[in-house]
Amino acid sequence: MATINGSVTVLDPIGLHARPAGQIVKLVKESGLEVRIGKAGQELAKANSPLRMMALKAKTGEELTIEVDSDDEAEATALIAQVQDFLKG
Amino acid sequence: MLDSGTILTGMGVGLGSVAAEVFRVKPVASLPNAAKHSGDKALETESLKTAIAAVSLEMNGLAEKAGETSAEIFEALIMLLEDEELFETASDQISHGWNAGTAFINAVEEYADIFAGDATFEERLNDIRDLARRVAASIAGISLGLDIPTTGRFVIVGEDFSPADTAQFTEAVVGVVTIQGGPTSHTAIICRSKSIPAVVSCQQAKDLVDGMQVLVDPVGDRVVVDGQESDITEALSFIAKSEDPIIPVRANIGSLEDAIAASASAAEGVGLFRTELLYLSAKTRPTKQSQAASYTEILKAAPAGPIVVRTIDAGSDKPVPFLDMGDEENPALGVRGYRLIENHRDFIVDQLESLEIAREQSGREVWVMAPMVSTYSEAIEFAALAREAGKFKVGIMVETPSIVYQIAQLAGVLDFISVGTNDLSQYLFAADRMNPALGAMLNPWQPALLRSLEQIAIVCQEAGVSSGVCGESASDPAFGVVLAGMGFQSVSSSRSQVGIVRQALSSVTKQQAKEVFEAALTGLDADQAKSAALAALAAISAK
Repeated sequence: MATINGSVTVLDPIGLHARPAGQIVKLVKESGLEVRIGKAGQELAKANSPLRMMALKAKTGEELTIEVDSDDEAEATALIAQVQDFLKG
Repeated sequence: MLDSGTILTGMGVGLGSVAAEVFRVKPVASLPNAAKHSGDKALETESLKTAIAAVSLEMNGLAEKAGETSAEIFEALIMLLEDEELFETASDQISHGWNAGTAFINAVEEYADIFAGDATFEERLNDIRDLARRVAASIAGISLGLDIPTTGRFVIVGEDFSPADTAQFTEAVVGVVTIQGGPTSHTAIICRSKSIPAVVSCQQAKDLVDGMQVLVDPVGDRVVVDGQESDITEALSFIAKSEDPIIPVRANIGSLEDAIAASASAAEGVGLFRTELLYLSAKTRPTKQSQAASYTEILKAAPAGPIVVRTIDAGSDKPVPFLDMGDEENPALGVRGYRLIENHRDFIVDQLESLEIAREQSGREVWVMAPMVSTYSEAIEFAALAREAGKFKVGIMVETPSIVYQIAQLAGVLDFISVGTNDLSQYLFAADRMNPALGAMLNPWQPALLRSLEQIAIVCQEAGVSSGVCGESASDPAFGVVLAGMGFQSVSSSRSQVGIVRQALSSVTKQQAKEVFEAALTGLDADQAKSAALAALAAISAK
């Protein structure tokens, strides 16, 4: 399976907190895809756990790397766009 | 036992107030101590699964009861409760021999360690810990209900309330007092959204017991034992008695938009024009012409009266891209404000020369001052630079305690000084402005700050240097009166506060302002100083 890479920026004034983390996990679970998120240069975390994502401690203005395992590029791109939307606060 | 009339101070939430009977939330039944299981891992894992499902169901029920504002919070909490990684961490704990309840609490604590010290997550952490307690209680068969009465009128008193707790608030809850928790706690948010008068972070409330009558008085940041509706703190109102305030009230601005808006207010000129905003987003250094053009536009738009311009106030925490500031261990104590002169003298000179062009083109009266001056030599050097560059009145900001002791020696060198109270507090108390846990020390009513400000006002009068205050505190009308009472000759407020500060300063005579300041000096802490000043003001307006 192909891996589609992207990046998103945390725009929420409180950072990556419980609500966006929950929204992302819900989206990922519904999509049935494997998605990993993390800071550039660090090990990425599976986006199936809100606590794990909050543990990234991503702050406002930080850029995050996101990887989606999918052969459907359009689906993966739409998912990344949706994640970015959740991070707008 | 608390005596009738005892005042318990905290932080008020909301503007309403209420007098009712205390209902002390019972300390929850204690959970069983951490313990190992008898060896059946599968059974423990199953029992944990069942308990998580039960608490999740309970949360869903509470979400429906709590209504719209909290529905999202509960949804997020349920996601955390059902977190797969959390469950795996707990399963590991079970493998290590811990029973289901202990394992889940331990698992949450593993995450707590990761979040510790991060202010953003700490409040959520309490919510997650509350979930862990609920899971453990469910396994042990203990009820965590608050058993709040459904009829009558009660002020609910407890340590702090989690979302699951506040969802159990009934119609009978007319007021809330918490011992812990701050103004951004869940309790505060819910009380604000439901318009329930509340006082949070009220430590003495631990002595309140069932059956006592209390007045919850958020405007006064207090709870009064046996207080009546007649004891309610009214938001102070000022009735102007003269047309002009006893000292001029200027406005703080940072941009052209601010200048235009300020000229629609009653401000007499500008007491603080923060110039760094013009540079923070510039990638390259603007030319003198473009700086002069921006300044001319702003000076022309500013409200009538003198315009006090502060030269660039930047530092490694407030970096200007083209000035290459690098990182510092302690930005607040580092190379900032006028200290940039060392590496960027040409930029500061450029700024002063651009201002001179703008002064000529706008025909306005311009005063210039340098921020973060801490020695006599810096003040002398800046005064020479500014007088060389143009026809300005020249001054400095007083923000560091060190410069206070040399103002007298600057007689004849400076035309004026302006106190930045936020920074002066930070450096006087050695308390980081950016740390919310130190807010109480940065309260402008702290007696040490009041006395320090008075000293500045007096030494300026003796030295023949005009003195003003442009910090946050000058936007508080009552504090504005206190500053005038100390002898300051002008204040500069945020634009939205100019009207009310002006009104306050028009409601008293100079002698009365002095009396209000002297009343504040009787306080031994910030609360006492503020209460004494407000009482003196209320007595004056009742005359």
